[in-house]
Amino acid sequence: MVRFKNRWLLVELIPLPQTHTTSPVTSSISRPRTPANNNNLDGKTIWAALRQSVLTHFGDVGWGAVAPSLTIKYFSPTTSVAIIRVSREHHKIAWAALTLLSSIDGVRYIPHVVHLSGTIKHAQLAAIEHNRVVIARFRALSKSAPGTRDSYDAFLEKSGLEIEALQD
Amino acid sequence: MSQQPKRKKDGGSEEMTGREKKKVRMAEARTIPVQSVGAGSSSQAGPSKVVPMNSLAGLPSAIDIEKVVESRAFEIGAMQTAMKTASAGSTQRAWQALPRHLRRRAASHDVRRVPQRLRGRALAEMDALPVKKKKLPQRGKSKQETRTESFLRRQKDKTWLETHVWHSKRMIMEDMWGYRLAVKPTEKAYRPSHRASVQGAIIHDASYYSLVELRGAPETIIGTLNLCCDPQGPSPGALRFLNGTRTYETHAYEPGSYPLGLIAPLSIFWQPATTSTDTKGKGKETDASALDSQTNDRAIWLRYHPAVHQQMLSALQKAASTYLARKKEEGIESVEIQICDLKDQINVFEIMGPQASQVIRGVLNAVPGDPREEFKQFWSSLADVQTSGSVPRNLVVGFKVLDPRLRFPPKRAKPKPGKPITTHHIFPKETLARSDIWDEKVRLGLARPKFTKQELDDRRAKNVVPGTPLNPQRQDDRVPVLLIQRSLEASRTAGGHPIHGWTLIVPSGWGMAFWSSLVFTGTRIAGQRERQTQAYEAGTTYFPRDYPFTDAYNQFSKQREEKLKEKWDRKPPAKKPNFEKLKVDDPWTPNWNKVLGTEAEKDKAEEGDLVPAQREPESERSAVKPWLLRGLKMADIVEKVAASKSPEECLLSEVNKLRVARSLEQLPATRTQELLQGALINVKVNVCKRGLPQDLGLIYSLEDEEVPRAMASIMRKGDPEDEDEDEFNGISTENALIGRITTGNYSLSIGSGYAVGAVPLARWLALLKQQPEAEKNKASSTISPLVKIRNTNSDQCRLAKLEVLVEGDA
Repeated sequence: MVRFKNRWLLVELIPLPQTHTTSPVTSSISRPRTPANNNNLDGKTIWAALRQSVLTHFGDVGWGAVAPSLTIKYFSPTTSVAIIRVSREHHKIAWAALTLLSSIDGVRYIPHVVHLSGTIKHAQLAAIEHNRVVIARFRALSKSAPGTRDSYDAFLEKSGLEIEALQD
Repeated sequence: MSQQPKRKKDGGSEEMTGREKKKVRMAEARTIPVQSVGAGSSSQAGPSKVVPMNSLAGLPSAIDIEKVVESRAFEIGAMQTAMKTASAGSTQRAWQALPRHLRRRAASHDVRRVPQRLRGRALAEMDALPVKKKKLPQRGKSKQETRTESFLRRQKDKTWLETHVWHSKRMIMEDMWGYRLAVKPTEKAYRPSHRASVQGAIIHDASYYSLVELRGAPETIIGTLNLCCDPQGPSPGALRFLNGTRTYETHAYEPGSYPLGLIAPLSIFWQPATTSTDTKGKGKETDASALDSQTNDRAIWLRYHPAVHQQMLSALQKAASTYLARKKEEGIESVEIQICDLKDQINVFEIMGPQASQVIRGVLNAVPGDPREEFKQFWSSLADVQTSGSVPRNLVVGFKVLDPRLRFPPKRAKPKPGKPITTHHIFPKETLARSDIWDEKVRLGLARPKFTKQELDDRRAKNVVPGTPLNPQRQDDRVPVLLIQRSLEASRTAGGHPIHGWTLIVPSGWGMAFWSSLVFTGTRIAGQRERQTQAYEAGTTYFPRDYPFTDAYNQFSKQREEKLKEKWDRKPPAKKPNFEKLKVDDPWTPNWNKVLGTEAEKDKAEEGDLVPAQREPESERSAVKPWLLRGLKMADIVEKVAASKSPEECLLSEVNKLRVARSLEQLPATRTQELLQGALINVKVNVCKRGLPQDLGLIYSLEDEEVPRAMASIMRKGDPEDEDEDEFNGISTENALIGRITTGNYSLSIGSGYAVGAVPLARWLALLKQQPEAEKNKASSTISPLVKIRNTNSDQCRLAKLEVLVEGDA
């Protein structure tokens, strides 16, 4: 029985803000990190952009190798986190193409590969870890008074326990 | 709640097949939910890293943090639920989420067998029902066999206990001794049952035990029983048993043939002198008791194993007639005794384990108006008792309880920590032991519970506040019960930990009412296997397995032999042990003649040898009758015999002493040799280091030269790998075989192999002599000679220590 082995890429697409229209100072006060039109980003557009990237950098051979197994399993517009599945033999082609992907639909992005794993479960676990780190970073940055706790303390504690239970 | 889908499949295939439904379900399980974007607000909540070119942007505001954290938190939750549903969605059915004891076989096709909260899911997972062909109506409902009739039809050749239907759904059943009994639970429960018996509570329905009542003048009863009970213990007429406050655990022998005709263990308890008047002090006495008080007649109950039912009855009748004949010779004419077989009149539940007292306290609620002070004290301290071993051994308590179904569902009582232990105030008292259950009229009057479960449920439905227990009404039954303390223990030296519990006796007709409540408290259920395991782990013998030469043992042994031989015959030669090569001639049933050394010459003759044509006098050889030496004073007897110069005469004199004490005539002096030669004693076999003893294993004595080497080897605390396992393999002489193991297993309470075996007394004495000089001076009950044991299916010998097994608290 042949086992089809895959690799799962956890990617965050960090949008670069559009600084060509407004001055840095004014834009920073209002919405420092909100680029103009992101609402149309979804799994299909990412897939199309990735396909274009593979064709550009690796040609038809590369695309033929990667195409049967390339799938965007998950994408969240709010956090720009995507989980991409590729077959194991040719995952480096897809990974390289992803790294060289600089813009989707004209909007500039930096693809930040957080984790690479063999199962979706570990990709999901890595996503949880990543999100927790982000939350911690933001809270640290906010430098609010130590007493103020927002509504997510209980949730984070609960999710922390669940992760520990899930770890092998 | 959706109804069952219609059975007809013809109209339109909107209904998906099971496979399609499963595919949809799996796809749904594997998708990861994505947070929906609110209208108007920007979809981006902020990337993970603040890109350097925005360092001038300043600190994020509070609103942004909330948004970021919210979106990230949603994602975390989504990932976690996705992982859970992915694992659970495809591979598990709805009922697989239930613990094992709530799963039902019919749950795969019948939604009603799944608890309510899971029914929707189970229904969705099921395939559409196959179209059932509608049967033509049978000729009239009255001609159909009702459920009761079908049950009765199955009971023609065997008896069902009252709790049979409950057991048959959860246990593997077998026909035994005319009853259909539970052998073991269907789910794997060997270790949980052991844990329950040493830490929790475990219950066994023992209503199949035979019960016989003797009625007559106390002297008559005592005289009859003295003829057939074990002379080694106190007489059944001893004062502590006579007033009915304690049960007497003894053994029955064929009248007049002690020590040879052992029948079975026997449990005796007297009815307290006057019947109880503890119901609100009305002072009513039934006719029977009035008669008793006038004529001084007493009643006594005997409980024994059903395998020896007929044998015991005939032994009792013989003893009674012998006693009456004797009295006639003395001139006393008007002596009578009644022997009644009280089968199917009571139900008996054995609840073992430290929590047994809490279970009983939680399930039974005593009738409030009991005037006895001792009972109030006993009942209040029962909840805090750590184990029923704190209560005097074999104590009998009788009282009345309300219908247990009124307070269903019950809860176990919780012992209050720190409360001063008042159990040492509980003494056996005659007033405490009185109960109406002895009265036949009362028992028959209660044979049918007044209210059925349906009526009680209707009453409960009328409750104003749902869930309140029912208040007892005047018409409700008050059930008299008996509570007897029960202990499984052997003498205190190494091997086994005692198990204590209670025996609950309720009148017949009330079995299921009490059983449902008892089981609801979370008590485990014991079948025959668990009952045997309890006795084994306590280190004590179990009837009939460890009682060689009784009739019940012979029967059991024969059945076991047939089963094992059949199993062995079925297997191909490469997959079964070759007993010829292993030099085991009796692998399925022990040949005690060989062990005792009394094998007749013609048995030893091989095929092809010439058998003498003239018959040799048989009387010499067959005169050796094998018998089991056991009893409370066994250790003393063995010690005396070991110390004496002529063991046969010493043994004979001891036996005669006991016989005379019970007004039996002495055994003739010509039988000394056979008496000693045929004597067998139960021994404990503790494996020294490695090794698992199994049933029917062989016990060999060590050669004289091997003994010091063996003792050194067990003292060595080296690496297990350095040891030479095969050091003591190899049996040199024919005479080395000194005994057989009757029950062998890995003991969970001891933590190593443990077995109960039987060894001839003569060989035991020889073993004692083999000990080095330093050991010999100790009391013989503390000497543990070393032996080798081996199982029938291998030639690997292991070292083990033997010890005399004395029952009861030595």
